[in-house]
Amino acid sequence: MRPLTLSRLLVQCAILSAVLFIVVVVALKLGAVPVSLYGLGHDLLRVLFRQTSQLSSEYQLIIFDIRLPRILLGIFVGASLSVAGASFQALLRNPLADPYVLGVSSGAAVGAIIALIVEPHLALAPAVAALLTPVGAFLGAALTVTAVYFLGLREGQIDSGTLLLAGIISASFLQAIIMFFMSTLTGGNYRGMAFWMMGELSTPPQRIVSLILRFGFFLAAAAIYTTASDLNLLLAGEKEAMHLGVDVRRVRLVVYIAASLLTGLAVSVSGAIGYVGLLVPHVMRLLFGSDHRILLPTAAFGGAIAVVVADTLARTVVSPAELPVGAMTAIAGAPLFLYLMRRRLA
Amino acid sequence: MIAAGSGLAAFLFFATCLCAELQAQTPSASPPPATLYKDYVDEAGRPVRVPQPVQRIVSLAPSLTETIYALGLQDRLVGDTDYCDYPADAQKKPKVGGAINPSLEQVVALRPDLVLVTKGLNRVETVNALDGLAIPSYATDPHTVQEIISSTQRLADVLGVPEAGVALGADLQRHLTDLQQRLSVLPPRRVLFIVWSDPLISVGKGTFIADAMRLAGATSIVDSAQDWPHISLEEIVRLQPDFLVFAASHSESGQNDFDVLAERPGWRGLEAVRNRRFAVISDAVNRPAPRIVSAIEDLARQLHPEAFSAQPGDDKEKKIPPPAQPQPSLFVLDSSIQVPALLEVCACAL
Repeated sequence: MRPLTLSRLLVQCAILSAVLFIVVVVALKLGAVPVSLYGLGHDLLRVLFRQTSQLSSEYQLIIFDIRLPRILLGIFVGASLSVAGASFQALLRNPLADPYVLGVSSGAAVGAIIALIVEPHLALAPAVAALLTPVGAFLGAALTVTAVYFLGLREGQIDSGTLLLAGIISASFLQAIIMFFMSTLTGGNYRGMAFWMMGELSTPPQRIVSLILRFGFFLAAAAIYTTASDLNLLLAGEKEAMHLGVDVRRVRLVVYIAASLLTGLAVSVSGAIGYVGLLVPHVMRLLFGSDHRILLPTAAFGGAIAVVVADTLARTVVSPAELPVGAMTAIAGAPLFLYLMRRRLA
Repeated sequence: MIAAGSGLAAFLFFATCLCAELQAQTPSASPPPATLYKDYVDEAGRPVRVPQPVQRIVSLAPSLTETIYALGLQDRLVGDTDYCDYPADAQKKPKVGGAINPSLEQVVALRPDLVLVTKGLNRVETVNALDGLAIPSYATDPHTVQEIISSTQRLADVLGVPEAGVALGADLQRHLTDLQQRLSVLPPRRVLFIVWSDPLISVGKGTFIADAMRLAGATSIVDSAQDWPHISLEEIVRLQPDFLVFAASHSESGQNDFDVLAERPGWRGLEAVRNRRFAVISDAVNRPAPRIVSAIEDLARQLHPEAFSAQPGDDKEKKIPPPAQPQPSLFVLDSSIQVPALLEVCACAL
């Protein structure tokens, strides 16, 4: 492992934020309605200088009320999934671990669907009712993580193989429950649900929900970052890390809770977007090394870039119709995963 | 120190994102220009403030597009979905994507006064997103043929052409009344309406299609509370329908559907298949729009030809216009029928 210097870290973060910035500008430009790059730059400058009255009202609505919130949502969802994936992989010392594989995404989907089912039966104020689905998704994610954690214990110790198996089995069990709900229940907004299960960013969440997502991301990512050096030592093995003075129990608890929070938040606003949490950390490891003090921030940027790119494609490939972004990440992600795997074997 | 530095870098970036939107929120606060409004409650129970007069309409469902044309408002229709294919002119309107996944920005760019949605096809999320952008949307939700007519009349009121709604409603009503007179003495045929043949999907009793069957002198043998139930062939063989009913864009393709089914193992167990008793009607029956009445008449003629043989007593009988020429349609891909198909896609994807 190369020694970490502040300048190296800052250079890498600067490169990635430049890439992300370019991606965001391109994503703002592309869409069903053509916007010229010149007009876009003009409008962006005007917004920055608060001369908002000079914007043409159509563009303003399309760029600032539709595209920008969606891109920001993509940034936070991608960063959350990717940081969660990187920390699960370190914690379980298994390159296959990610929120999707561990069943957390499916748990969140079940929670969201149950919330959709009970919502009409509860007389709730509209503001509360709108929060019910994200809350349901978060509870579903949290319950699944807890269940998978206990199923993965072997003689009081987490066994990463057992845990992964428990996650995979839980995921397919939860998928079956979703299919059962969707084919037996009548009425309701199940059409939307089916689309949502593949992951999509086209539905802007309530303002309060997106604020919770952002602050939750900072909180959880910061909590995971405090354990970055410990995660490095954990790569050598739990016993070894313990001998080197790492409080493994504490690290495990912090990372587990924070990573579940990240996943639950992301899934509750975007549905199940696969491959981001699995692949982006691997790519970042190849590019920047496996020091978690660098990996965690770069993975956040990488996840944000990946999801914004995928969502821009989802918006434009069959424009003016839209694809679920989960389909885009899977189409691009699965071949990339196979390529990385073969390369490692070679 | 280094850790703090990188954390700070990442934090700064994401904090900039946060501010970017907080600033961007400001322009959206500008109030809309003062116009006249009229308040309505739509069929989903939501209050809708409709600008008067409604000059620019975007339709997010094929049935609503047809209704707009039937009311003679096609010049005010500024956008519709990829699946709005009837009448042919509707295909030339600017498209906003599918009914389930329309492009919001395309809708915004068309500057609609009112967006029309239907609860049975469009998604709640789309309606919520339109609300968030302060674009008024009006939802219809008909479940029977009578409700299709009354819903059309209400929509005509909202769009400012109540007379056109009354005239259209009266015309449809006259056709239905005539049909009821002809069919009243005949026992209903027991039919299986085939929405999708693989897997076998039919219609539940709560759908407007089941109601259309009743008006055409038929009863659906499927008695399900689900709207688009998945039926087992065993159950169909036990119930032995008199007729199979296909909705198709062309009568040949309906014939084709029947031939394919007849070749499948088990289907020979149906008397209706052995005797080639089936009806093919226009896929207009799939859309809750005024054209459904002609599809009902068409089905009635095929199921009860005896009721339509020349009757000298019918002196002042208006000639029933021939059923509208079925249009090539992709509608099944976009209707609620898509749910089972989507489920399969999901099942594979997850």
